[in-house]
Amino acid sequence: MLSVRGLQVTYGSNRVLNGIDLDVAPGECLAIIGESGAGKTTLGLSVMGLVEGTVRGEILIDGVNVLALPEHSMQQVRWSKVSMVFQNANNVLNPVHTVLDQVMEPMVEHGMKNKSDAREAAGTLLTRTGLPNDRFDSYPHQLSGGEQQRVLIAMALANDPGLIILDEPVSSLDATSRAEVVNLLRSIAGDRTFVLVTHDIATAGRLAQRVAVLYAGTILETGSTSEVLSRPRHPYTRALLRSYPNMTTVKDLQGVKGRMSRGTTGCPFHPRCTQAIDVCSRERPPLVAANGRMVACHRGGIITLLAATGLRKSFGRKRAVDGVNLSIDSGETLALVGESGSGKTTLARTLMGLLPADEGEVYLEGRKVAGRDKDFYRQVQMVFQNPGESLSHRLSVLELVREPLDIQGVGTKDERERKAIRVLGEVELPTDEDFLHTYAHHLSGGELQRVAIARALVLDPRLLIADEPTAFLDPSLQAKLMKLMLNLQEQRGLSMLFITHDIAVARKVSDRMAVMFDGKIVEEGQSSMLTTAPEHPHTQALVKGASDLHSGPDSI
Amino acid sequence: MRILSKRNLLTYAVALLLILSLNFILPRLMPGDPLAAIYGREALVQMSPQLQAELVQRFSLDQALWQQLGSYFAALFHGDLGYSYYYNAPVFDVILGRLPWTLLLVGLSLVFSTVLGIVLGIESGWRRGSRTDRTMLSGLMALNGFPDFFIGIVLLLVFGVVLGVLPLAGALTPYSGLSGGALVLDVLKHLALPLASLTLAHVASGYLLTRNTMITVLKEPYMLTARAKGLSQRLLKYRHAGRNSMLPVVTMTGIWLGRVVTATLFVEIVFSYPGLGYLTYEALLFRDYAVIQGVLLLVATLVLAANFLVDLSYARLDPRVSYAR
Amino acid sequence: MHVDLKKEVTRSSAGRFGIAAFALIVLLAVFAPLLSGYDPIGQSAHSFLAPSWSHLLGTNHVGQDIWSQLVYGARTSLLVGISVALLSTLLGAIVGTSAALIGGTYDSIVMRIVDALIVIPIIIVLILVAAYLRPNMWTIIILLSLLGWQGGARIVRAQALSLKEEMHVAAARSFGAGTLYLMYRHIVPDLSPILLVDFIYSMRRAVFMEAGLAFIGISDPNVVSWGVMMREALEYSYLNVWAWWLLPAGIALSLLIISVTFIGHSAEPVMDPRLGGEASA
Repeated sequence: MLSVRGLQVTYGSNRVLNGIDLDVAPGECLAIIGESGAGKTTLGLSVMGLVEGTVRGEILIDGVNVLALPEHSMQQVRWSKVSMVFQNANNVLNPVHTVLDQVMEPMVEHGMKNKSDAREAAGTLLTRTGLPNDRFDSYPHQLSGGEQQRVLIAMALANDPGLIILDEPVSSLDATSRAEVVNLLRSIAGDRTFVLVTHDIATAGRLAQRVAVLYAGTILETGSTSEVLSRPRHPYTRALLRSYPNMTTVKDLQGVKGRMSRGTTGCPFHPRCTQAIDVCSRERPPLVAANGRMVACHRGGIITLLAATGLRKSFGRKRAVDGVNLSIDSGETLALVGESGSGKTTLARTLMGLLPADEGEVYLEGRKVAGRDKDFYRQVQMVFQNPGESLSHRLSVLELVREPLDIQGVGTKDERERKAIRVLGEVELPTDEDFLHTYAHHLSGGELQRVAIARALVLDPRLLIADEPTAFLDPSLQAKLMKLMLNLQEQRGLSMLFITHDIAVARKVSDRMAVMFDGKIVEEGQSSMLTTAPEHPHTQALVKGASDLHSGPDSI
Repeated sequence: MRILSKRNLLTYAVALLLILSLNFILPRLMPGDPLAAIYGREALVQMSPQLQAELVQRFSLDQALWQQLGSYFAALFHGDLGYSYYYNAPVFDVILGRLPWTLLLVGLSLVFSTVLGIVLGIESGWRRGSRTDRTMLSGLMALNGFPDFFIGIVLLLVFGVVLGVLPLAGALTPYSGLSGGALVLDVLKHLALPLASLTLAHVASGYLLTRNTMITVLKEPYMLTARAKGLSQRLLKYRHAGRNSMLPVVTMTGIWLGRVVTATLFVEIVFSYPGLGYLTYEALLFRDYAVIQGVLLLVATLVLAANFLVDLSYARLDPRVSYAR
Repeated sequence: MHVDLKKEVTRSSAGRFGIAAFALIVLLAVFAPLLSGYDPIGQSAHSFLAPSWSHLLGTNHVGQDIWSQLVYGARTSLLVGISVALLSTLLGAIVGTSAALIGGTYDSIVMRIVDALIVIPIIIVLILVAAYLRPNMWTIIILLSLLGWQGGARIVRAQALSLKEEMHVAAARSFGAGTLYLMYRHIVPDLSPILLVDFIYSMRRAVFMEAGLAFIGISDPNVVSWGVMMREALEYSYLNVWAWWLLPAGIALSLLIISVTFIGHSAEPVMDPRLGGEASA
């Protein structure tokens, strides 16, 4: 029904849309989601031919390229083939005409000469959208927001167009009106084609079959709504979903570092991307098909950072790790939850290579890891449970944090020292001379753990394995440390494997969770789903036993 | 664009009262015989003693001030505005004879200048920045600077004196004995120049205001909505933008009425057009105070009434405004 | 919203023209005695002389030199215009700000009077009073001022109301400042742009009214006025004298009014910045 090919819109020196390709099948609803400033409204307006500025490319409605039409032909196309439901801001409807007149107007102007027929038809439409009869002769300012939105919808239906563009149809409404209007839109859909432009992901989820993610004038990902929203493949989509406040997301709001900027060469998202490589800053990735979706990423979407297959480790007859398959994506936090003795720590150590696995393979960025060399440790680091034990008593704080750099031989001594001091700052520890020369056993538990984290970060790893990092800390310190780790993750774009016995904590920090029992992974999935609808009895037991899982707002 | 708050009846009542009081007080403040003060020395000379005595009686001029006030208002209610010495008739009759001409002139010029101003303003605002717009803008702004009587004078000189195609004075060709269509044509020929002067003098205000409002209106979201509906340019300009842009002009019409009346006064003098304005001029010349007072009172009342009506009708044009009590 | 008045006016070509024309007229007025050879009121020659080097614009029906009358008439118009503008702007400012600051009953009463004055056609009152008082120039000035301040008062009041809510006024209030102090120190200075525009339009109206009144016959007999010139000239329009008698007076008057109008129009963005940036005439 609608095809967009290579659409480029420029205002002066500002490139608002940078080569958009889209297809919408007849009868389908496509949602275009993105943050403000991404260019969504411009895209909607382009289809109507209402955009100022320089426009290049093609927009085919029912096979006709509307961008090539002269203005008076376009006037005929508008509101007969395609119409628009505008975002309900102030003054979208003309304040000096009644709503009935405004709904009637496009009918009359597009050919229905008989005024009373038009009036009746308009009235029918208004009733259909739920506006009471006595409101027909009202003026826009006399209606509530919800009623005005209904008028806009009725108006859009005036000439029964095959294609309707909806620009934020429910954003300005309260929750109840929102639900009503969404239902209304569903009921009028019929075999019409909808293009829904919105930043409201929940609404997109309820109305659209397919979704396209727009960022800085470029489409980054398209696919079926249910799949994209549950398992995003582009780093930006994932970040967007994470920062979206809705009722079922429990991971704390994590923004993505930086801000949207236009005019970057290469992939528009690369300055903020956690898995960007060289080519990302030079060339724009094309939108290609991958696993039933379209993704614009040089790396084919979110990559799997670490993967393990069929890992087995036994101590004598005890099978600590019994056939474990695990994968952690770039920029993701996977929580490994299990009670003591389930094999969590063994698994962690096996992954790190501190214990040799009996069976199974480990892959880093798709490449099999044979032995653990320096290179590996540069990318994967671990924070152990008990910092008191993992930090040597002979070394001062500075030396402790510098040690990994010393081992790896990074830079000169001065550089290493400066780097160590910088990382200490990141973990919010003092960096004065006195502290730097303090010995480990003079530090408190919380400080020790931060030093341990600093150590792990000083090599700028991609993956951090944290084994019960808060186990030995007071509850008040636990919260602080968790917050620190989440901040560090966001700033540095780390992936994390977070090991804990506390499922409540796990839910707060992770995107995905894997529950381990008796050496096996018994259940795995989205953290929110797992904790609200656990399937495996063990998981259910954990959830039930979690102290503050169902109590009031968690305080982190 | 809401410049004025909604005025209610009280305001107009106060205004009327002020004028009436002024009318009453002024002559009585003058030293000497009240009759002489009200009617002027020249008039007294002309009047017979019986007439004088009658007037003194009617207006209680030999009695206390507040009694005079009572007679004054009583007389007003009866339409008794005094006696004109110059025309030798009751003031009311004199005025009535001249009123229709002025109404014709004022009414038509108001309508023409408002409509013309609005249409030009819409067209100009729609094309803002183009050569048409800039030419119209500078042209009308210049036109706005010419005092109305000068415009009248220029028109008179050009069409009356130099070209000689239109008459120089009066509303009718005297003693012509015309009737029917020929009469109408004659009236129109005499009306043409005064009407043109008045219209030209006031087109600019409506134009400027409409144009400014149009510029703002064109930026409003509902204009995009209207465009999206695939409506023709004509509809966008007039039904959508125009309808909104003309509102301030309607409001201001009330205020401008005072100016139009002033202008009519001058224009009538220039063209010796026998309306109330010319009457006032003559009365001033001959110091016929009774007529002056009568005319001014009537005009003031009419202007106030018209203003009030305009206020009322504005509420119907702009649905966002409800008439505040 | 701090648009520089000077910049706005000099930026538009209309504003520049206005200032130039106005300056020209001022010069004529100031240097009138130097520019004209004759006493404008005194009879200097025969009537209806055509223009010549000794009488640049000829003489009128009683033999007065027209050119002298023209330049002295400029004085009258300017004097009346500026005086009335000053007085009525001042009056409007005082009434407007005090109404905004004091509020309450005072505000209601004052605004009621202002509204009433707005709807009354001024000319009516002027004629009424003038008929009885046979005014001189100063009476006319006072009358025009008393009847011209109401428009400004409205606008000033509206602006003062919004200024009243601004922080620096609230701060001064919290130090115990009285109404007069607030008016003087805080509100009026911020009002200057609006007052200036009000002044300009008041002057325009005053010049127009003075000429108009003179045209009807209400003027100071000892003073030369363009309006009087036009009235007298009109009587003799059937003679060819109108070209150098009637027209120059009318053109001079129009030029003065147009120049003030243009200055005022170019200064308008001060009040509503959305209108600024126009490539006007």
